[in-house]
Amino acid sequence: MADRRGQRQRHMITRNNSSSSSSFKSHRPSNPNTNAKITRTNKFATVNPDNNDNIDDPQDIPNLVGTCPFMCPVEERARRERLRDLAVFERLHGNPAKTSSTLAVKKFCRTISTNNVQASDVRPVTVLEDTLNYLLNLLKSDCHFEVVHDFIFDRTRSIRQDLTMQNVTSDQAIHMYERMVKFHIISHHRLPNCGSPNQIELHILFIRMKQNSIHIMCFSISVPDNQGESLSQWFRRVPFVIMKSKEMCFARRILRYFRLGNYKQFIYTTEAEASYLQYCIIEPYISEVRALALYCVNYGGYKLQPYPLTHLSNLLMMQESDLESLCIDCGLQTSTDGIGKVLLSTKLTDTCNPKRGYHKYYELVSERLERLSAELSEL
Amino acid sequence: MAAYMSMGEAHRRITEYLNRFSDAVSSQDGKSLSRLLSISSSSSSSLQFLADALNTFQDANRIIRQSEKCSQYADILVPVFRALQSYRLRNLVDSYMAFEKAANAFIQEFRNWESAWALEALCVIAYEIRILAERADKELASIGKTPEKLKGAGSFLMKVFGVLAGKGPKRVGALYVTCQLFKIYFKLGTVHLCRSVIRSIETARIFEFEEFPVRDKVTYMYYTGRLEVYNENFPAADHKLSYALTYCSPLKEANIRMILKYLIPVKLSIGILPRNLLLDKYNLTEYNNVVLALKRGDLRLLRHALEEHEDRFLRSGVYLVLEKLELQVYQRLIKKIYIIQKQKDPNKAHQIKLEVIVKALKWFEMDMDVDEVECIVSILIYKNLMKGYFAHKSKVVVLSKQDPFPKLNGKPVTS
Repeated sequence: MADRRGQRQRHMITRNNSSSSSSFKSHRPSNPNTNAKITRTNKFATVNPDNNDNIDDPQDIPNLVGTCPFMCPVEERARRERLRDLAVFERLHGNPAKTSSTLAVKKFCRTISTNNVQASDVRPVTVLEDTLNYLLNLLKSDCHFEVVHDFIFDRTRSIRQDLTMQNVTSDQAIHMYERMVKFHIISHHRLPNCGSPNQIELHILFIRMKQNSIHIMCFSISVPDNQGESLSQWFRRVPFVIMKSKEMCFARRILRYFRLGNYKQFIYTTEAEASYLQYCIIEPYISEVRALALYCVNYGGYKLQPYPLTHLSNLLMMQESDLESLCIDCGLQTSTDGIGKVLLSTKLTDTCNPKRGYHKYYELVSERLERLSAELSEL
Repeated sequence: MAAYMSMGEAHRRITEYLNRFSDAVSSQDGKSLSRLLSISSSSSSSLQFLADALNTFQDANRIIRQSEKCSQYADILVPVFRALQSYRLRNLVDSYMAFEKAANAFIQEFRNWESAWALEALCVIAYEIRILAERADKELASIGKTPEKLKGAGSFLMKVFGVLAGKGPKRVGALYVTCQLFKIYFKLGTVHLCRSVIRSIETARIFEFEEFPVRDKVTYMYYTGRLEVYNENFPAADHKLSYALTYCSPLKEANIRMILKYLIPVKLSIGILPRNLLLDKYNLTEYNNVVLALKRGDLRLLRHALEEHEDRFLRSGVYLVLEKLELQVYQRLIKKIYIIQKQKDPNKAHQIKLEVIVKALKWFEMDMDVDEVECIVSILIYKNLMKGYFAHKSKVVVLSKQDPFPKLNGKPVTS
């Protein structure tokens, strides 16, 4: 019997990226499109990450527990000092070849040249939490947000990598994921062109988090063109309990308004009900919806009754002067009718659909959101 | 469990199976060979008896090795026996792993057989791989382990696909394997993996779609049609699912029902309503109220219908498609108002006060103010569900005298 088992294992391993697994050794089947493959023997883990740093099902691996006590493993720190590969924030007195254990933070690693990752290279959860605290504190520094952002973006990715390698799903880890997602949402809000975490990774984070998954859900929902997976497909997998949660219902409602083109409710409901973070996620779509409103009014409005901008600006919750600018951005004509400015209905038929990023964003006029923004709790 | 079987009897059954196996191979009898490999088929009592015989005899491998005709197929037969034994003893993980080993060995032989005589057997193997993997995963999940056999089965089947993707007569089996892969990917939720197989089938020059068996084409169109539904490509979804419906055997009512489950939302989205008879016949009553809401212009009913069957619609992935029907419901409501006004005063019918629409919505317990109604009206006009214009100051919508409510005519609502 034992002989046969051994034979089977060997047989499987020699097959090119064998699809089968034995029940004795955790061996994840390979798949060209996704995932890191991890095989475990003893305390060493083999990691072959793919283009995505997501790992989609590490639960079959006996858990690796990291032992690295520093924010950056000693070996890596030494190596990067040698190679002068230190970020600005990691340099001791600005020296590009010198760092310290209180400054160096483990980098995200897409490909690892050696096949074995040792427990001493992986940071345990407590160290990861301290690392995260340290990183998020950097936001308070005087540095230009873009510079800090890139550093934090990369280093938090490494934190997530360490968490996943150890398959941590405790509340502590969940809270850390939440904070990282918040960071991503807010940085996206401030820097529209910055990178964002892999969609699939977000979905996975979300599936692991139950109660507190609003932000991720909203994020995923609000991006209609998910890579490779349509929203309908994603909805199939979301646990029903979550679909019925208050936050999810809000997100679904907003999504419905967006898809139907109900510009009035989209903007009104966002202003009235969104949390600040939800607003950050929705914000990029507000321009698009406003532009749609203008095109609709332009197309369907009675040309002898041009639409007053005052009323329209209230509807779209923007300053009237901003609305005028938006009209110009959209290539639409305004005029005056004696009482105030109006939008002319010229029944343009060759307006292309408003494209995302095409229109400048004009602030949403909202006392409530201003207040929330000021109150935004500590990351 | 097995009734008592003597060693002699067990030996006889094993030998009989081995003879049938080698006869099938030497006479290139694909059908007989297939029957010998249908492990999960509960109707095959002879295989059950064989499994009992194996469990009784315990050293069938010796018989295989000693058999002149069968020892060359030991790589296939030894694991097949083990798979059978394990299956009978309900060790499903063991059974799957053994069967996969057998299947691998089978493919090696299959490659060497020039003609496609064993294609049916290969298809049976493809089917069994999937079924056994599903059952193995269930077993894994029940003991708290991560189910991963089905994923492995997917990788294996990709290999099989590769074997069939050549110029010879064997290529006709590729669509069957594709469909097995679809089933796996849909079950696992890794639907994005379908893309590469679809590309192979649809763009590779070796494949001529019409050459594939009808049954496989129907299944293929069903799954690819579903993908189009998820991506809201309604014309493509309509084409594929309708194809599946047309060529599906009328006797396979369960299959027809599955096709209709997706085709109906698609048809609704392009303005075609199913008859109640159809919904009743195939037990698709979850759509009854949706259809009724569209006929009545009753938004409350549509929302209620979506809520009532929310879980079902979400699971099948049609929820968002149905939600979008709201615009057509609004269109219908306003059209009804128009018709009523026409009966009262044909000359003024085409002018509808926004307040009237607000009131009508209130009757349906929908609370919308004039601004929102104006918004809806403007959207309907913009998307060509209504022809006319709205006057903001007069708070009125003026409909075109000709064809104010254009029919969709098989096209989805303009995006």
